[in-house]
Amino acid sequence: MAIDKLQDLFDRKAKIQSGGGEKAIEKQHAKGKNTARERMNMLFDESSFVELDMFVEHRGVNFGLDKKEAHADGVVAGYGKINGRLVYAYSQDFTVLGGSLGEMHANKIVKVLDNAMKMGAPVIGINDSGGARIQEAVDALSGYGKIFYKNTLASGVIPQISVIMGPCAGGAVYSPALTDFIFMVDKTSKMFITGPQVIQAVTGEIVSAEELGGGLTHNAKSGVAHYLTNSEEECFSEIRRLIDFLPSNNLEVAPTVPTNDDINRKNIELNEIIPANPNKPYEIKDVIKILADDGDFFEYQEKYAKNIVTGFIRINGKTIGVVANQPKILAGCLDINASDKAAKFVRTCDVFNVPILTLEDVPGFLPGTTQEFGGIIRHGAKLLYAYSEATVPLITVILRKAYGGSYLAMCSKELGADLVLAWPSAEVAVMGAKGAANIIFRRDIADSENPEETRKQKIAEYEDEFATPYKAAERGFVDDVIEPSTTRARLVDAFDMLSSKTVTRPNKKHGNIPL
Amino acid sequence: MKKFRISVNGNSYDVEVEELGNSASSASVAAPAPVAAPVATTKKAAPKAAPKKAVKAAPAGGHAIESPMPGTILSLKVAEGDTISSGDVLLVLEAMKMENEIASDVDGVVKSINVNNGDSVDSGEVLVVIA
Repeated sequence: MAIDKLQDLFDRKAKIQSGGGEKAIEKQHAKGKNTARERMNMLFDESSFVELDMFVEHRGVNFGLDKKEAHADGVVAGYGKINGRLVYAYSQDFTVLGGSLGEMHANKIVKVLDNAMKMGAPVIGINDSGGARIQEAVDALSGYGKIFYKNTLASGVIPQISVIMGPCAGGAVYSPALTDFIFMVDKTSKMFITGPQVIQAVTGEIVSAEELGGGLTHNAKSGVAHYLTNSEEECFSEIRRLIDFLPSNNLEVAPTVPTNDDINRKNIELNEIIPANPNKPYEIKDVIKILADDGDFFEYQEKYAKNIVTGFIRINGKTIGVVANQPKILAGCLDINASDKAAKFVRTCDVFNVPILTLEDVPGFLPGTTQEFGGIIRHGAKLLYAYSEATVPLITVILRKAYGGSYLAMCSKELGADLVLAWPSAEVAVMGAKGAANIIFRRDIADSENPEETRKQKIAEYEDEFATPYKAAERGFVDDVIEPSTTRARLVDAFDMLSSKTVTRPNKKHGNIPL
Repeated sequence: MKKFRISVNGNSYDVEVEELGNSASSASVAAPAPVAAPVATTKKAAPKAAPKKAVKAAPAGGHAIESPMPGTILSLKVAEGDTISSGDVLLVLEAMKMENEIASDVDGVVKSINVNNGDSVDSGEVLVVIA
């Protein structure tokens, strides 16, 4: 009797774990995709994944759905360990009714989110679904709504990571969109609100699914996704790397990763990295890697708005978020996309207690009607807002240009930077020397017998006097001017000094960030 | 009607330019006076006066490298017919007080270069076409 019951249990579990059956699994593999449970095993530490709610079944009775079996209702849910830390996850099973989302499927996801919040653990959602289970009608729709609501409640409490490993279309896209990080896999991931067929029918535009909503599109063009990988294996190893940079929830700090990298390391090459000609670009990522422990830089939105570089590094073993202007792209200007990207990253760091290092070399906001009509005022404001509301330790290093409004936007003293350091090459000024001299000395230049000569002379005068860090340091907007080679050592010391920072803010429901 | 005297390689040409209201695509250029003008020199004079809009529409077939922002062409690093790979610098665009290196994002052969040194370009204007 006991044996029978045991055998019955084993049979039931085996059946459920077979997902949509051999044929469907073969199809999934043929597309270069792994099954939902294979993915869980790739994501988590070896044999640490524990599946829950395996026996859940749908309650649909319409359109013959009552005759259909849907093992685990098309989604694998549970928890496991990533490098020893608790993480929750769910993984949609495309082999079961196309991974379609019905009432019970959604309930399982909501339960995972509830548990993750209760336990203060990150949650990872793997999306591979045809969309709403139409037979379940409004129950399926309600399922999406409940997930959106939970995602929003969990936002800022636990890190939420979305992984797109197949189709994710229509309303389904909004759960990932509400989370902190979106990973996509090149060629197999697709995200869109309306697919190519609908678009062709409505607007006549012809576009392939890959071009419309593939991994590259969302990483480089739309800015919806944050990471693009070439394979599912690579994707999971990147997610594991990201988890290591993050705390488990908003009340903790990210784990310290011991390093053998010298905290007093001097980097003479930094004294030479800024070209003598201020109009020459250089690679800002070189600077970031030199400052980081072991040169390890985990970039965020690498392919989007490349004029600003964001990502995680460690300094003395502690996670630091970096925001840096990239002089090589668009001269390092701030524009709409760069502002959005940096603002979201700053807020991501702030909610998860990750201190922020800002490396500044910014000539200004990008001029043009495209920017103005696109609302650069509104988008640029997000960056100012994000820095101003941040309460984590904030350090700014001014490497070169720090002009006008963009100087303020890049975490200036005024917006709350705890420490502003400048290299001797820094130019903190209202605008570049050429423009400033042309305005201030307009009369002198016009009245001069040799206007060109006077212009040159006045520009040089302005450069000597104002295109330096010292005017700003005289006022205390720059705390210290340092030798570039000592930057890492200064940062190690400063972040340590700032680790006890506490800030109290007026009570409010929430701020009203310009959107 | 505006008159210009342009000298190219020691030959001087009288050129008349008429501005026709706002229709940017139809600026007309009177032919240079000497009939036997060398091909190379007329070619040089022509693109300057050519309307910008027409340049933008040029690349039929081939991958267009567009200007990311308004600025001035400082120097060309490639010539038509050059074989290039993705990441190679095509030209230097001075904009926002920076000498911006504009690189190709594809492998290929330079099919056409639509700008000269010193030209002012708008954002979105096609600079180079790679085939």
